[in-house]
Amino acid sequence: MTMDATFETSSSAPKARAMPSVGSVRIINHLLILTVVLGVWELASRMGWVDSLILPAPTAIAASFWQIAVVDRLMWWHFGVTLYESLVGFVVGSTIGIALAIAAALWEPFRRYSAPYIVGLQVTPRIALAPIVIAWLGFGTLPNIGIAALLCFFPPFLNTLTGLTAVDRDCLEMFRSLQAKKHQVFTQLMLPSAMPVIMAGLKTGMTMALIGAIVGEFISASEGMGVLMQRFTFALNMSGTFAVLLALTFMGLLLFAIMEWLDNRIVFWRHDARMLEITRRLNAKNKA
Amino acid sequence: MSLVQLRATSHQGDGKVIQSQIATERVMAQPYAATRQAIEAQQVEKRFGSVLAVENASFTIEPGSFISIVGPSGCGKSTLLRMIAGLIPKTTGSLMVHGSEVTGPRGDVGVMFQKPTLLDWKTVIENVLLPTKLKGRVTDADRRRAVELLHLVGLQDFAHAFPRHLSGGMQQRVALARLLNVGTDILLLDEPFGALDEFTREHLNVELSRIVAEVNTTSVFVTHNIAEAIFLADKVFVMTPRPGRLAAIVDVPFEKPRDISLLLTPEFNALVARVRNIFATGKDL
Repeated sequence: MTMDATFETSSSAPKARAMPSVGSVRIINHLLILTVVLGVWELASRMGWVDSLILPAPTAIAASFWQIAVVDRLMWWHFGVTLYESLVGFVVGSTIGIALAIAAALWEPFRRYSAPYIVGLQVTPRIALAPIVIAWLGFGTLPNIGIAALLCFFPPFLNTLTGLTAVDRDCLEMFRSLQAKKHQVFTQLMLPSAMPVIMAGLKTGMTMALIGAIVGEFISASEGMGVLMQRFTFALNMSGTFAVLLALTFMGLLLFAIMEWLDNRIVFWRHDARMLEITRRLNAKNKA
Repeated sequence: MSLVQLRATSHQGDGKVIQSQIATERVMAQPYAATRQAIEAQQVEKRFGSVLAVENASFTIEPGSFISIVGPSGCGKSTLLRMIAGLIPKTTGSLMVHGSEVTGPRGDVGVMFQKPTLLDWKTVIENVLLPTKLKGRVTDADRRRAVELLHLVGLQDFAHAFPRHLSGGMQQRVALARLLNVGTDILLLDEPFGALDEFTREHLNVELSRIVAEVNTTSVFVTHNIAEAIFLADKVFVMTPRPGRLAAIVDVPFEKPRDISLLLTPEFNALVARVRNIFATGKDL
């Protein structure tokens, strides 16, 4: 379809018959591949090559999605619960992680004596702590927030610690030669230098928080996408399960997009386009 | 031109220089002729563990002069510079700047490094203003002065650009402007153009000698390039390694301002040969 449309427009307007840009060729290729994959999948399901209990057809998944998202509107409450648990867990976990990392970076004894426990906690599969967290925090959304925070904690912690302790030595000397005070070195040099690495840690932490929330819901919860998914699986409604999975992919994408947007704003000096925009704006302001 | 005035006016603002002038006068009233020197070292030594990095260095540097310290890697030239800057402590001896013993980083010397050490998240002019910002609030007068300094290093059109969008040579010009904004009369330059290509480096050397002549500062320039050391300096301190030793102090008689064509004259090359000989034999002729 897309191909036909492109050819038609180019033949009806022969003057504009320029080479298609690399970008549009790629988009067309992507769409083609996706169409082929979905087509083979659909065919495999319809022809009975694959049991629909194992892999339902794409159209069946789409129909289920339509049903629970638009007709029944069953999904949105659970979607909101999981999103809420992930976001709160992310904020709690990364705040604790960053705060501890700052303490460890600035206070050498703390870094030294806490290191074995940090490593110990790091090598322990933290998912295994989930039942314990549930035992502590009881039922409802709270334990899931706890698990999300627990899983999310490490990437921001480690990245902040690495970023703060890997500040360029020459820059530190330069600040020292300018007789900068300790808090100035921290706020004006260490923290901004570490910011790109901290943001990378936060991005990973965000993904981990979502995983934590869903694992918590799998173990014990009465609402959330994990619960919905289990409910469909137990009822052998596989297209419903896949529809929930699809919604979770969207949730992941949404969270990822938020983090990318924040990264672009906060660590603007890593994005050439953003820097040029600021330069342009400042130059214009200065002329006025 | 106006930069000498500029320095004077900006200094009146913070009041510190006036204080230090009073301090200098008080010191000068004392019966020590030596305190008139910008930098004075007596038997300064630096050990890192059992390694003798700088051995028994004694010298004086007059105000307004340009000194090059030249030597191969590991001769202790950077160590000596960092001791003067107060970034590392000396092991023994006496090291005075403006007549007072160096005990740590101080406001009356500025340092420039081989790396530009610019802050990536600040625009060029904000980088130049960093020393001001660390001392307190940035006023409009400070901004005007920063713009003047950018004119002086030829970067007036890049005030709002970010360091990442500048070439290596331009980044070092920003670092130089920032150094001049510290408002000190002693500049310590640790191989500032060492990471740049030959052409850019030569060009920046000519610029540097013009600029320091204009702002009338005492400069100590560390390099491992003999020609560069001689071209810029009034006096060349020649250091030999293992242990780091100040082997000779060579006077450079050529008149200033110097043109790049000086590099081709026989007198200049005779001086280069003389310094080379010191490295070979450990002794001056």
